[in-house]
Amino acid sequence: MLNYLYKRISHAVEVLLLVSIITFAVLMWIPGDAAQLILGSDATPEKLAALRSALGLDRPWYLQYWDWLKGFVSFDLGKSYLFGQDVSTLIRQRLPVTMSIAVFSMIIATVISIVLGILAAIRKNTAVDYVSTGLMQLGSSVPAFWIGMMSIVYLGLELQWFPIAGYVPPERGFVAYLNSIALPSMVLAIGEIGMLLRTVRTSMLDALSQDFMDMARAKGLSSFTIYFKYALRSAMIAPSNVIGLQFAKLVGGTVVVESVFSLPGIGRLILVAVEQRDVFLLLGLVMFITTLVIAIALLVDIAVMFINPRIRVEMQGE
Amino acid sequence: MGDEKLLDIKNLTIKTGSGRVLVNHISLDMEKGELLGVEGESGSGKTLTAKTIINLLPENLSWEAERFQVLGVDYLKADPKAIKSLVGGRIGYVPQNTGFYLHPMIKIKDQIADGYVLYSKSSIEEALARASKLVGAVGIKDTERLLNSYPWQLSGGMRQRVNIAMALMNKPRLIIADEPTTALDSTIQKQVVDLFRAVNEAHQTSVLMISHDLGLIKYYCQRILVMYGGQIIEEASAGDLFAMPKHPYTKLLIKVIPSLNIKRGERLEEIPGHVLEIGKPRSGCVFKERCSYRQDICATEVKEQSLDGFHTFRCNFDI
Ligand SMILES: Nc1ncnc2c1ncn2[C@@H]1O[C@H](COP(=O)(O)OP(=O)(O)OP(=O)(O)O)[C@@H](O)[C@H]1O
Ligand SMILES: [Mg+2]
Repeated sequence: MLNYLYKRISHAVEVLLLVSIITFAVLMWIPGDAAQLILGSDATPEKLAALRSALGLDRPWYLQYWDWLKGFVSFDLGKSYLFGQDVSTLIRQRLPVTMSIAVFSMIIATVISIVLGILAAIRKNTAVDYVSTGLMQLGSSVPAFWIGMMSIVYLGLELQWFPIAGYVPPERGFVAYLNSIALPSMVLAIGEIGMLLRTVRTSMLDALSQDFMDMARAKGLSSFTIYFKYALRSAMIAPSNVIGLQFAKLVGGTVVVESVFSLPGIGRLILVAVEQRDVFLLLGLVMFITTLVIAIALLVDIAVMFINPRIRVEMQGE
Repeated sequence: MGDEKLLDIKNLTIKTGSGRVLVNHISLDMEKGELLGVEGESGSGKTLTAKTIINLLPENLSWEAERFQVLGVDYLKADPKAIKSLVGGRIGYVPQNTGFYLHPMIKIKDQIADGYVLYSKSSIEEALARASKLVGAVGIKDTERLLNSYPWQLSGGMRQRVNIAMALMNKPRLIIADEPTTALDSTIQKQVVDLFRAVNEAHQTSVLMISHDLGLIKYYCQRILVMYGGQIIEEASAGDLFAMPKHPYTKLLIKVIPSLNIKRGERLEEIPGHVLEIGKPRSGCVFKERCSYRQDICATEVKEQSLDGFHTFRCNFDI
């Protein structure tokens, strides 16, 4: 286990280094820099040069990268010149928004996928199966921004069920908070359901065809026991992996939904950083998301290992 | 009503979705307390017949019959719920040891007793105490440790013994055991068979045992059915069958095996001819391709003969 962790973590470090070098190089290479950002486009070349040397931007890129890297390993992501604040402060402010819709949409997607996936497998080739196949295709073929806009128009403006923009932090009332993230989470969930539902259905069908299901039926157990105790237990391993991967992907994938619903989250911050060429902000965001994705993937893998008693028992034996 | 009869099946036919006939008009019945043996060629339809009785025929197959009563429940009329509780509560099934019939992610103690808790309305403690006793009875020493294991921590023989113990949990009135002793060494084999017999004597439990092991069946069963190509080709009391086998296939089976203690597969090379391809549309005798007594008539028809009403066989001759 320790060996495994060590391997995974050293691999993660390699990935992070590579991502940071590539991102840094690309950002150096495109025109525009922090001095330009601070002074505006009508600044004189002399003033720009002076500010550049004051900020150390005239040094070779690898020295600048080295400075940034030193900061990064001590959890200092540098400063955003656009906001005049620490990048980590900016992330901390916006993280709750993004995490809220990511977690909430994952919960919605998981519940719907598991329920429909099981039903679709048990009642193969019936109406339930066809409905969920339809939902699967809808989710994976229609773009999120379109569903987002449609839901704003119908559920928000017409029916007025949900607010259509803005974020209410939980401190200002839990119901209002849930309401403010409900629509974006649902929109995001639709995109997640396709893959997850397919995985649940497939692994459930596989479980149902196993010999041990024959035995469970021969014992005359109730349908509930047969499906939940016997079938679902072995059918949950593959979907757990998918849930983890999709969640990791979600954290970085909220850009569109946050823009459509005007939510002040990480995704919007990325857009701003790109538009304004805020190099350190963008670099910090990219590194933060990469770290998060890697960490979640690792946690999910470990969790899935623990679902499987075989690995659990073998580890106790070590 | 099935009154005295435990099993009353007439003209059972099992087909695939595409119409291939796998089991062809077989009839069998069993009395209360009877020990019935089923012997036959590999692929002759023994397992499918057993699975029909416990209502677990694979989805791609279907069956039909003129009469099909198990413990007085008429499968042709009863609702699925009644059949389910009959199978779970009063029939014990020992599956053929070719698959993995225990759930790999659930401890033995959590799967051996759930059927008992459901049908005997007992507490989990009582159920586990019974499980422990039965597992001990099939020759497992450290029962505590066994119950706390996962199936993949056990050998094939151990798992088979767990299956046997599980089949006995509900004090079934009928045990269907599909080659229950194949993975076991000979002392354990005898122990298992003796256990079945003890249960049979104590509770009048009937046992339908499928086996390739003629020696075992002879030692243990009162009546024997011999299957070939989806049909029952001979049926007789154990004594009669071994004293005067009538069907050429049965004769070969008994003659060719000197020790009466054969292992699976060995027999096939020794009986002349190739294994019958089941399911092809055919007429006449199922054994004609491999039979040394064959005449022209065997290609078109086959006679059903009976010696005394109890010993029956399907052959055109009496040799
Ligand atoms: N689900 C299925 N679909 C199609 N054919 C099947 C299916 N299950 C079994 N068969 C076929 O039906 C025939 C009878 O199978 P069965 O398992 O009853 O044989 P058996 O007598 O138990 O043989 P063995 O001694 O090898 O266990 C075989 O030819 C087999 O290939
Ligand atoms: Mg079989």
